[in-house]
Amino acid sequence: MNSFAPECTKAKKEYDNCFNNWYSEKFLKGESMENECADLWHEYEDCVKAALAKKGVGKMIDEARKQAPFENGGKLVEEDEKKK
Amino acid sequence: MVKFFQSSHSYDHDFSTVSLAFFNRYPNPYASHVLAADTIERYVDTDGNLHTTRLILKQGRLPRFVKPFLKHISESWIIEKSVVDPKQMEMETWSSNLEHRYILKVEERTTYRREGAGTWSQNQVSFVSNFAGWGVKDRIEKWSLDRFGENTAKSRQGMAFVMDLLKEKGLMHFQRVQLGHDFK
Repeated sequence: MNSFAPECTKAKKEYDNCFNNWYSEKFLKGESMENECADLWHEYEDCVKAALAKKGVGKMIDEARKQAPFENGGKLVEEDEKKK
Repeated sequence: MVKFFQSSHSYDHDFSTVSLAFFNRYPNPYASHVLAADTIERYVDTDGNLHTTRLILKQGRLPRFVKPFLKHISESWIIEKSVVDPKQMEMETWSSNLEHRYILKVEERTTYRREGAGTWSQNQVSFVSNFAGWGVKDRIEKWSLDRFGENTAKSRQGMAFVMDLLKEKGLMHFQRVQLGHDFK
């Protein structure tokens, strides 16, 4: 799948390939907890971060990242904050 | 207004294939409205569980009757979070729309769990709307129900398509296809 930012698609696919191999061959088999794709990840992450900022959706993403569906008994952080 | 829908499903494929297919389920022929998917966060926590946050960009698929209130919307963002527990062979996923949540907030949770040689899954979708005026409430409820049935079927077909590709051709070939071109 492409990145939303065309300039990041190449880096994304290289990272995804690395991740897929690590995930199926090592992580699920309990052989490695280390992120072996760190270099490819950083390249891809930098590209996506810059593209999100350029598109002006950085703030929306930051808000969304605060949501913790698996923590706090599944309640979203934003909902907890409203009650305070 | 809150509506909940729930369904469960058993996949013949093992947990490894199902969870890998989840991360790679786009593109597939049953999700032509999905334009892009990006990972924005990924880490392994101290318990050894893998956490992932992704952003998915879809072509706008809001119900027609809210369109007059939301002009110029052609794309929408979905946030997706997931946690994989490799010891229990269990995956929890959650996704929701990022924008216009005051009109309609759709949240979907799915659990995938190893069950014998296959994988059991259960998903729950909730539709929450604070937009009750002008008789829109009933239409949102009807739309939600239709959408749930349609989406559930399509996402399973999409997952099955990707799983078959992974199983039949192997990961190496699958990746060559993915790197080469996206089928839309």
